[in-house]
Amino acid sequence: MADPIHQFKIETVLDLPDVTLPLIGHVDLAITNSHIAMTIAFAIVVLFLNAVTSKAQVVPGRLQAVGEQLFGLIDNLTDSIIGHEGRKYFPFVFSIFMLILGMNLLGMMLTFTVTSQLAITAALALITFGLVLIIGFVKNGPRFFLLFWPMGAPLAMRPFVGLIEFFSFMLRPITLALRLFGNMMGGHVALKVFAGFVVTLGAMAAGGGLGLLGLPGAALSLSMVVGLTALEFLVAFLQAFVFAVLTCIYLNDVVNLGDAH
Amino acid sequence: MAADLPQSHGADAAHAETTGVEHESSGLPQFEFQHWGGQIAYLALLFVVLYLLVARVFTPRMRKVIDGRATSIAEALEAARRVQSEAEGQAKAAAAELAEARGQSQRLAAEARAAAAGEAAERSALEDARVAEHIAKAETRITIMRDKAMGNVAGIADDVTRSIVEKLTGKAPSAADVKAALAGRGAN
Repeated sequence: MADPIHQFKIETVLDLPDVTLPLIGHVDLAITNSHIAMTIAFAIVVLFLNAVTSKAQVVPGRLQAVGEQLFGLIDNLTDSIIGHEGRKYFPFVFSIFMLILGMNLLGMMLTFTVTSQLAITAALALITFGLVLIIGFVKNGPRFFLLFWPMGAPLAMRPFVGLIEFFSFMLRPITLALRLFGNMMGGHVALKVFAGFVVTLGAMAAGGGLGLLGLPGAALSLSMVVGLTALEFLVAFLQAFVFAVLTCIYLNDVVNLGDAH
Repeated sequence: MAADLPQSHGADAAHAETTGVEHESSGLPQFEFQHWGGQIAYLALLFVVLYLLVARVFTPRMRKVIDGRATSIAEALEAARRVQSEAEGQAKAAAAELAEARGQSQRLAAEARAAAAGEAAERSALEDARVAEHIAKAETRITIMRDKAMGNVAGIADDVTRSIVEKLTGKAPSAADVKAALAGRGAN
């Protein structure tokens, strides 16, 4: 119960027969708590966007105003970072932002947080990275490798700087995945640890005698939990936003290759 | 990702099953790779569906509303600008009219003043003429009266002379002597 790591455990809710696919190999097909949380987050996002846009009016209501804020936030992002071609990439950035935001915020309500699963954040990071690679090669062809040939540096330095650029480029999906994963996991562990203190110290105080000394500690821990909860809501939004910003920046690198530098 | 992870960690999964308890208590649950494949595949599916919905349905709807709003705002601004310029034009026209009216009234006032001044001058000239006539008449009358008075003086002198001579000499002088003496006197 008090184990702060236990909340990240994948529990199988409904086991389906495993399948062995030709290319992918053995896949454990099961509906787990992760699948359920993802489904709920997905459903909330879709229902929210549907509610916002289905009866959209020129003078927005409250819900529509919230939706338009989020929409405008990402629209400004793609427009200001990627430029006039940003609109083309808006649906992708918006989808990934809304999905992460939905999963992060749902994690504040459920006992399970999807985005604290490295598998999920890594998959999201690889989707983004893969898209950047595909767009990079489709738009630029072999000129894509100019990304690693810094024109601003002196000629003698270019191979070294280029090598560093290449490594930093390849590290992008890893940092993208670990940032989200670490933030979400760290926050929920901290919440759980402080909440556990409240229970443990409270139980001590309930025993009476010297155990009553645990009361101030329990109260302090409780106030920490309250504060951290507020902070976690902020982090939930901020990490989704950071993911979207970085996605835009990485897309901009390959969309405007050559003219942005 | 989904392609190689379940493969390379299939053995791990089997291992984890046999030593399940130890495995759970040690590492993070996130590194139990037997759960990765299913989660990633499901996430990819959800993401593709969400992307299609956002790209095909939600974004066009949202753009339509936002662009519609932008258009209506632009139209309203345009209308406001037009009305404003119209109002400015009207204000300018009104100012011009006012200036014209003022000029006209000033002209009228000047004319009236000039007319009044002319009339006054005419009237005073008339008055002057009348006064001058009066003066001339009066002077004429005065001259006549003085002449008459001077005529009377000769008669008085004749009488006075006659009475003085009569008192001195005892006899009355003849009228011709007196007249000659007075004329001689008057001639001197």
